[in-house]
Amino acid sequence: MGRARTTRTRLVCGNAVMHHLMGIDGHYPLLLAIWLLPLLGAVACWTFGPQLGRLAGPLGSACTGAAFVAALSSWGDAMQKTSAGLGAHQHLGSWFPGFDFGLLLDPLALIWALIITGVGFLIHVYSIGYMAGDRAFARFFAYMNFFVFAMLTLVLADDFVLLLIGWGLVGLASYFLIGFWFERPTAVAAARKAFVINVLGDVAILFAIFIMFARVGSVGFADVFANPHALGGWLFATCACLFIGAAAKSAQVPLHTWLPDAMEGPTPVSALIHAATMVTAGVYLIARCWPLWSASPDAQVLAGTVGALTAFLGAILGMAQWDIKRILAYSTMSQIGYMIMGVGVGAYEAGVAHFFTHAFFKAQLFLGSGLIIHALAGEQDVRKMGGLRTRMPFAFWAMLVGVLAIIGFPGLSGFFSKDAVIYGALEHGHPWMYAVGIATAGITAYYMFRMLFLTFWGHYRGDAVGGQEHQPGPVMTVPVALLIVPTALAGWLLFGPASWWKRFLNGQFSGETLPAPVVSELSTTFIVLAVVAVGVAIAYLRYAGDAAMKDSKERLEREGARMPSVLVQAFYVDTALNILFVKTSQAFGTVFGRWFDPQFIDGAVRETVISSRWLGHLFRSFQTGLVRAYALIMVLGAACFIAYYAFSAGVR
Amino acid sequence: MIANPYNSLDWNAVIPLLVVSVTALAVLFADLVARGGVKRVVCIAIGLAGLAVAAVLCAKSYGQSYSSFGGGFIMGGFTVVFEELIVLSAIFSVALYSAVGEARHLAGSIALLLWSAAGAMLMAGAGNLMTIFLGLELLSLALYCLCGMSRRTTARESALKYLILSSTASGFMLYGMALFFGATGSVSLAALANPATAASPLFLVGTALFFIGIAFKLSLVPFHVWTPDVYEGAPLPVTAFMSVATKAGALAVLVRFAYATLPSIHVREILLPLYVVAAISMLVGNLAALAQTDMKRLLAYSGIAQIGYILVALAGTTALGLRYAVFYLAAYLFMNLGAFAVVALMSTENEEGSRIAAFHGLGWRRPWLAAAMAFFLLGLAGFPPTAGFIGKVLILASAVGAGYAWLAGFLILGTAISLYVYFKILRLMYERDQQRAAPVVENSSALAWVSVGVCAIVTVALTFYPLVPSNIIPLVK
Repeated sequence: MGRARTTRTRLVCGNAVMHHLMGIDGHYPLLLAIWLLPLLGAVACWTFGPQLGRLAGPLGSACTGAAFVAALSSWGDAMQKTSAGLGAHQHLGSWFPGFDFGLLLDPLALIWALIITGVGFLIHVYSIGYMAGDRAFARFFAYMNFFVFAMLTLVLADDFVLLLIGWGLVGLASYFLIGFWFERPTAVAAARKAFVINVLGDVAILFAIFIMFARVGSVGFADVFANPHALGGWLFATCACLFIGAAAKSAQVPLHTWLPDAMEGPTPVSALIHAATMVTAGVYLIARCWPLWSASPDAQVLAGTVGALTAFLGAILGMAQWDIKRILAYSTMSQIGYMIMGVGVGAYEAGVAHFFTHAFFKAQLFLGSGLIIHALAGEQDVRKMGGLRTRMPFAFWAMLVGVLAIIGFPGLSGFFSKDAVIYGALEHGHPWMYAVGIATAGITAYYMFRMLFLTFWGHYRGDAVGGQEHQPGPVMTVPVALLIVPTALAGWLLFGPASWWKRFLNGQFSGETLPAPVVSELSTTFIVLAVVAVGVAIAYLRYAGDAAMKDSKERLEREGARMPSVLVQAFYVDTALNILFVKTSQAFGTVFGRWFDPQFIDGAVRETVISSRWLGHLFRSFQTGLVRAYALIMVLGAACFIAYYAFSAGVR
Repeated sequence: MIANPYNSLDWNAVIPLLVVSVTALAVLFADLVARGGVKRVVCIAIGLAGLAVAAVLCAKSYGQSYSSFGGGFIMGGFTVVFEELIVLSAIFSVALYSAVGEARHLAGSIALLLWSAAGAMLMAGAGNLMTIFLGLELLSLALYCLCGMSRRTTARESALKYLILSSTASGFMLYGMALFFGATGSVSLAALANPATAASPLFLVGTALFFIGIAFKLSLVPFHVWTPDVYEGAPLPVTAFMSVATKAGALAVLVRFAYATLPSIHVREILLPLYVVAAISMLVGNLAALAQTDMKRLLAYSGIAQIGYILVALAGTTALGLRYAVFYLAAYLFMNLGAFAVVALMSTENEEGSRIAAFHGLGWRRPWLAAAMAFFLLGLAGFPPTAGFIGKVLILASAVGAGYAWLAGFLILGTAISLYVYFKILRLMYERDQQRAAPVVENSSALAWVSVGVCAIVTVALTFYPLVPSNIIPLVK
């Protein structure tokens, strides 16, 4: 194994294996349409909200849907491929040399654009039903469209500055939407927390841009990726800065704490932003910057390790949650850990594939949970659910497909992409990440089925009187039903050695041919399946078996009371961050505010002002108004000038 | 050297100059013909039209290369850029005559201003020492008269001071040119570009004297002493014109000399005194501006510091530095002339409202005007989103890149002091104090308002579209 690894490293460091293809320049009105239609919707919903009333929902959905159609119609542009180029590149404008802004639509951007607008459209439609009773209906759709626009800016950018603008706007949109119900103090706090952590990531990316501009003299993808080794010794620093940004946005350990809190937002928001699209921006960033990652083995280890750790810890924490949305939040965190691990170690196609399938099944799960929450008038605690299988059969089947997909049931979408990521880690020479990935798959099976059993099996444990829950209308069920199709079937696109997926991404990434690892892909599949089966079995015994059914309410209360505090407190990460950053910053603030600032900064300013005034009057006193005085000053200056030149001439 | 200058007369090179000069005659003629109230309108309209035509004709030569008078006048990208800046400053200055200036002097003033602009344009394209001196004297002679074109005694005083001190500086410069001729046997800048003669004592002392003349026109410390008095005394449009056009002309001569004539091995030592005086100018200009009570004097000192910033861009004589210097000069043109237009809008025909006290509470009396003024002051201080900010960033980048970090340090120090200068006025404008508030002067000259608007828009636009022309390396042949 060790020998295989050394070979691999050498291969990766060679310049020859990497070849980054740029977009083909041209005029692509459709590309602009994808980008600007959601902005149009946002502006319209925001400006004419009161006039639009209930029409804001259909209008916002239509704008996103039109963007999706535009994205589909751009398929040919995105897939065009010559020896030098891949995809479409639309120039927008130039600033200084090195700052050229444009839109780039290649297969990688296309897959994200399709998910953002396609899944986004379904979630918009669903929201028409979910948010029907809300006062700020138009404002909600303005924010949602604004988010879609920001996210499209991020993925369609052809340079790091525009990407960062999109990156920041996405954070802003997320802030608006988490804090949408701003009457709730918890929502406001969660929004603030998410924003602060995200801005930390923005700043890190800004530093990466500084390095790139200083070393390469440009911020365009094409220039930076043309030769990653131009970054020299700063290559790893650049990757690390980019990765901090990615980790903040994608809720990677230890910057993940905002994601569970973000569940304070409306459920469609959680589905769109905190599951399907925004949190995968980090995956996009690494996949986009693959030439940098492929050139820096250290960066690969960093991203792979953090990804594996996040996958594992997220799954562990998912076991200890009672709130259905928090369970899904931790599962999101865990699944993104898989993706980051995949793209981090170099299995780009697998990582992006997992994003692709995850967007469907996670949106499906969130929207399914939204059906339940909506029906139970806001109840989110799974201990107060149970037995909903018969009362909400549609929600049950939708959730069942989603759960089976996420745990990797053979034939459903997660099965293909998750195995590809796990096997990719082994293929790229990281056996322990492979092991962690398999273990995480087992835990995932356990806690997802735990949620499913608690919600739909047994007897109803809640307070709502039977039949009181309102069944969702077609505007909410149809999007969920439509999502079932890709959730179940999207994985088949990845199947086989010459799969559709490989052909689709052909030319997007390039790399070395890897030596075959000791364990074959087929055996990996069986190992994972066995572990998953064990996980499901344990969940069944604990939550759905005959013994568990007898006194389920009391058992759950006991379990809740006995839950280890290390899990309840989420490994004390929040506390640690609080002590490390918040408390120390406050201490610094006190020191600087009470002592340093008044003494030194203010003092210096005061002194400067006083001496400036004095000097000003001094210079004014030369200004007598007398020509002879002026002539004297000039002649003295002239004497100095002549002396310098005469002297320097003498020296030479 | 110059066998028969008329054989080498290339109309393409001199046509903008001719248009400006002839326009001056047209203005004088219109003054004879026109009667009554239309006089002002007609004179200003003819002046502006002539300048506009000159600007368009001049722009056509960008990217070309013509030469006239046996290499005495060279038209190319470099000359075009500087001539455009001079013509633009003349346009804004003539526009100010719609708001201020005594009617009986109007036509004469505009004609002299145009001839003065022609002199500056001649300097911008000068290819030998004779043309430089000719342009300098044409510029200065017209300005001596212009400074005195007012009923006020301060104007007469300013004209006389300018005449005496400027003649002294011209004397220095002429002596320097004589020494150049002695060292090289030629008056053409191309012939001066000879590394062998450049090390001779005669040439170096000539350089000292030549630079004294340039430094006077650029008003660098300690050759700046005339600036505040003359700026204060001269009529407002003249001051506005002097603050940009004179400097642009002198800067063009300096740049052509430094970039194309001085041998690159000695250029660092030879230009060092200029960088030193630039550093001193940035400090003294801003410090002295602190104690001023008159807006024109304040802008005079501010201009002394601003020209220091531009020289910092030229440090190391890099091509990039030159492009940034030109950008900053353009930004300075709009910010500075915008501020002068605001002052014009606070003046009556005979009384100039340039006392700083007049700005007290302006933000509440004339909010739009105060907002524009605040914007120009922020630009001069180097705050985003104005071109002043981006210009300073570029200058810092080029100076540090060329190895002149100490000059960059002086620039930052000078900027820090200047904040106090400009923010003092900002605070004054937005102070609510009825007792100290100055009486309202209602001047609503449309042209001056247009100037304010154009200057403000361009100051913002240059931030986002930094026009840094690339084709501006000066030629001597």
